[in-house]
Amino acid sequence: MARLSQSWPGADANGATKVVRPASGRWESLALLLAALAIIASVTGYVLLRPQHPGPPIALGWQVRSFDGLGAVDQAIHSALLPASEEIIWNNNDTGGWISLERAQEIWLPPFYRDAFWKTNGQVHWQLILPGGHLPHAGSVDGHEDDSAVPATSEVSQATQGQGATVYYGSAGRAPGQSAYLLVIGHAHAGVMWANQATIWVHPDPNAPYPGIVKPESLVGKGWRQVIPYDGASEVERVKGNQP
Amino acid sequence: MTVSPKRRAVWRRCLALLVLIPAIALASPTVPLGKKLKIGVTLHPYYSFVANIVGDRAEVVALIPAQANPHNYQPQPDDITRAMTLDALVVNGIGHDEWAFQIVKAAGREATLPIIQANASVALIPIGGDQDGAKVVNPHTFVSTTAAIQQVFEIARRLGELDPGNAATYRQNALAYAARIRALRAGFMTRFAALDLSAFRCATTHAGYDYMMQEFGLFVSAVIEPRHGVAPTARQLANTVDAIKKANVRVLFAEKNFSLDLAKPIEAATGVKVFALSHITGDTYSADEFEVAMRENLETLAEAIEFTQR
Repeated sequence: MARLSQSWPGADANGATKVVRPASGRWESLALLLAALAIIASVTGYVLLRPQHPGPPIALGWQVRSFDGLGAVDQAIHSALLPASEEIIWNNNDTGGWISLERAQEIWLPPFYRDAFWKTNGQVHWQLILPGGHLPHAGSVDGHEDDSAVPATSEVSQATQGQGATVYYGSAGRAPGQSAYLLVIGHAHAGVMWANQATIWVHPDPNAPYPGIVKPESLVGKGWRQVIPYDGASEVERVKGNQP
Repeated sequence: MTVSPKRRAVWRRCLALLVLIPAIALASPTVPLGKKLKIGVTLHPYYSFVANIVGDRAEVVALIPAQANPHNYQPQPDDITRAMTLDALVVNGIGHDEWAFQIVKAAGREATLPIIQANASVALIPIGGDQDGAKVVNPHTFVSTTAAIQQVFEIARRLGELDPGNAATYRQNALAYAARIRALRAGFMTRFAALDLSAFRCATTHAGYDYMMQEFGLFVSAVIEPRHGVAPTARQLANTVDAIKKANVRVLFAEKNFSLDLAKPIEAATGVKVFALSHITGDTYSADEFEVAMRENLETLAEAIEFTQR
């Protein structure tokens, strides 16, 4: 039987151990350490500096989000005001006039049309206030069974004298927790071009008087809050980031 | 011959204008005169919306087969071929047709196909009756009349931008179509006006009807599916049954064209009466499909409310 050798590479004949240094002088260890540090630094840098997907607009103190900031009734009325405002603006672009509350009844336009929706959502009393109006306009006042809580139209009209906005003002709603509403359609000028823009405001007091001046700073001062619709564009932006 | 520096500058400006004006005109996404747009749609209601907006001024192309279930659709090669030929694509975009983006990507049209987000200006609402109380966006904006009209207006506006020559027609058609949808709604509102809606409580198998309920001041007390298209676990089902009993719900709306399996155990456990609503999916695409399906839905809703008044 063959005898196994007692020696191993690096040991001399006398049994003394000879340390063999790697040919590279251990630079691999240093290189590995540096590579690991570089990877950690890169990942940390990417995490800190990566482009953030901007989220949907956050409501400021004087704003309220339609999705989670409004009660069910306010949400329903807001949802109806959005397409109504679009139709009102298109109608104004085509005819130069504004859809009166009488006309809104004829074309079944919610939330002004007095149907089951109007009934279950507080039977809001709507008024149309035209720019600079002194006197009530024909068809600008929604009849109401109990008008005691509703401001006189002449006061409302006088208060808006000289302002460029057309306003649909809803008050005296009877549903619990319901707000008062303003659909403000203003003219936005950009050089020779102009466009109508609609904003919707709510006031926690359903009987809040007509604010008179419908400029944002004035409305905020009187406790009105602008409704920020959480719309499909906001949702797409939240999920996928900015779209082209 | 020498040219003065002033005159040279004028010439340079003229030359720049000559180059820039055609370049800007060619870069705009508008349609050449006389060409009909080919507009793709992902869901049945959008076929109806677009068909009514464009009339004979453009072609409407369904991206996927009519019988396909949009909740779990897997893109097919033919869909990709269709996407290659489109001039624009109308999508729900908020969770009901995510497969459309896979198709567009596979067709290599991500950078060139204008996407019209029908819901871009619709005020979204959360799923009602969520058992966890979470505020999750409900993507079923098309099962409604008011949110449907908002989408019709949005689509018409965007199509008008892509096809300015027909923008006025698209807008007039959109307004006429919106008037028809409102007339449909008004007919049922008159019927509902005679009913007491205050005590009406309902549950749904699928969270598809919040927008329609909102229009009538109605609310959903419980939804069987915990999330869109997800079947409930035994524990979740038990919790839903409890919620239905506590809220004194007497009506359960199931989905007409999908399985009614989920409704049966709930019906047996709680005694609710099951009514079937349409998700507006059918065997064929047509211009009047939305109105037909919504008329049936409103009829069913009226019957359900009348049932609770007995």
